[in-house]
Parts: sequence; structure tokens; C-alpha cells
Amino acid sequence: MIILSIIIGCLIGVILGVFAPTISYVYTDYLAISIVAALDSVFGGIVATLKNNFNFKVFVSGFFGNAILSILLTLLGNKLDVDIYLAAIVVFVGRMFNNLTIIRRHYLEKWEESKNKNQTKTEEQKN
Amino acid sequence: MNKSKIIMAVTIGIMSFIMIYVMSIQFKTVNKTDVDELEYMREAELKEMLTNYKERYAETEEELKGVKDKINEYTQNEKSEEEALEVLKEEVKEADMLLGNTDVKGEGVIIKINSESNYSALNNDIPIMDDEEQVEITHEDLLEVVNELKLAGAEAIEINDERVVTTTDIFDVGNFILINGQRTKAPYTIKAIGNQAYLESALSVKDGYIDKYRSRGYSVEISKEKEIVIKKYEGEMTLKYIK
Repeated sequence: MIILSIIIGCLIGVILGVFAPTISYVYTDYLAISIVAALDSVFGGIVATLKNNFNFKVFVSGFFGNAILSILLTLLGNKLDVDIYLAAIVVFVGRMFNNLTIIRRHYLEKWEESKNKNQTKTEEQKN
Repeated sequence: MNKSKIIMAVTIGIMSFIMIYVMSIQFKTVNKTDVDELEYMREAELKEMLTNYKERYAETEEELKGVKDKINEYTQNEKSEEEALEVLKEEVKEADMLLGNTDVKGEGVIIKINSESNYSALNNDIPIMDDEEQVEITHEDLLEVVNELKLAGAEAIEINDERVVTTTDIFDVGNFILINGQRTKAPYTIKAIGNQAYLESALSVKDGYIDKYRSRGYSVEISKEKEIVIKKYEGEMTLKYIK
């Protein structure tokens, strides 16, 4: 059911996105950083699900909170003439890699486990 | 439990929708944007360009200033030449008028002198002459009038359609008076352009020329005119000896 809602949401987003308006180039920095923050939250959520400690409220607040916070930080960086958004990207992307590694390992382990089980099963059957 | 799951699903759906939508906006904007266009440039690039342009602007302005100065110089030269030419033309025009090479008009007086013998009857100062010994107007009389008019500031004088110029000669030949080599006879009409009041008063003062002529037996009429036309000198003025 959750996967279905994700798929429906993505489809609507793509369909509406075709007719989406373009914005001024000045604001693309902010939008990009918010997208990265949101993606980070998504991967964080997936990892939490895999580890069975997924908290819906934490996920939603992180998704929007991180996006908004990163936009605000970029704004502050612009005002201070410091590229704070670079730091935010480093942190977010670093965490995304971490999370992706965790997800990969999880599935690899799962796959190997099932493989081992199958082997032991077949061996048992043979024996 | 079920209810909270539905809420969760809907929220996640909305979230994924928002994310995809925002991402497509971003993609579209980045795709569409021509980075070289001024509007989309980043601040640093713009600053650099601005400083470049400022430098070029300063250089060009200096050049422009130099060119403008040159142009100013040229135009001033031209102007002064033009002005000189204008002044010269004006001077030539005035000289022509004074010399009598052009028709002129202006305010002035017209004097008519005639030798009417019976006129002297009114003036009893002088004995009446015989008809045969009619008083004739001599060239000296005309010369006197002309001289007096010149003294009163006449700028152009004409006697019987003959313009009085610098070379004009007035002398008697028998019954005629020659003016500019042309024969004329009484009555004489003298036109003079100048200050009406001066001209008139110069002639008609007490014991002036008019009184003198009247006493001699000439009829003299003087009238002030607003516009008198005096024709140009018809003869030729050639210089042979002035070098």
C-alpha cells in the first residue's frame, strides 16, 4: 500500500512536472539544495525501515525540516558571502553514500543468506 | 492501526509527489537556462564583466572627449570664419548702399524747388525782376542744398532721379544743369534719406536755405515722407588712377 502510494505520487509528479513552470535561475541553488536534503531524508527513511526503527514523524519532519533548513542556510551563506551550501551538500551527500552502503550491504547479506540456505537445503536433500 | 497506515501512505505519496514535482521544475529550469545570458549569470561573473565594461567605458569616454574637443575646435574655427564672412558681406552691403550701387529706401524728406518768377511777388524783400530776367536756379544752389543735407546726416540723395554719389558733378551748361552728365532742368526734386527731423530743420531754420531761396524768388516745398525710394546710380564707377 505504501509502495502504491509512492508510485502514484511519483506518477502525478512527473505528469504535472511536464507542465511545471520554470523559475528564475537565481533560485535554482536553493531548490537544488532542498532536493538533495529531501533525497537524504528518503534514504535515511529506507535505512531506518531496514533496521526496523522507522519513525514516521521523524521521517516527515526530517524530510521537510532538512529541506527548509538547507534553504535557510544557503540564504544565510549568500548574505554572509560564504558558500555554506557546499558544506550542506557535502554532509547530505556523504550521509546518502553511507545510507546507500548500508542498504547495499543489507540486501547483499540477505541475498547471501538465502543462497546459503538454498545450498544447505539442497545439500541436505542430497544427503 | 489501519487508519494511521492510510495516513502514512497518503503522506508519503504527497511527499514523493512534491519531490518529483520540485525536481522536474529544477530540471526544466536548468535545461532551459542559457548560462551565458546576462540574466542568469552568477554574481561573481557579473562583477567581473562589470569591471571590464567599466574600464572600457572609461577608455572610450576619454577618446570621446578628445574627439569632441577636436570637433569643438573645428566648429569654432568654422564659426569665426563664417562670422567674419557675414560681417564682411554686411559691410559690403552697407558700402554699396552708401556708394549708390543699390536701390535704397527709408524715411526722409522731399524738397521741390522751382523758379517761379511770380512767386517772388509775395516776398517783397527783393525787387521783382523782369520776366525775361527770370531767376534761374544755379548749380551752386543745388550744391548748397546737397551739402546741407549731407551735413544733416543724409545717407542717400537724389536730384531729379540722378543719384548723388561721391563722383557726382553738378554744374551749369547753358540753360541746363548737368548732374552725373545728365541734363536736367527746373523744377528740381531733391530726395534725401535720413533723419526726417534733422533734415527738415537743417533746411528750414530761420534764415536757412529755404528762406534764402524763397527770398530769391524760388518756390520751395519741403515734405517729410515715411518711405522714400532712391534708385541706384546708373553710371559706371571705374578706377583708373587709384592704385
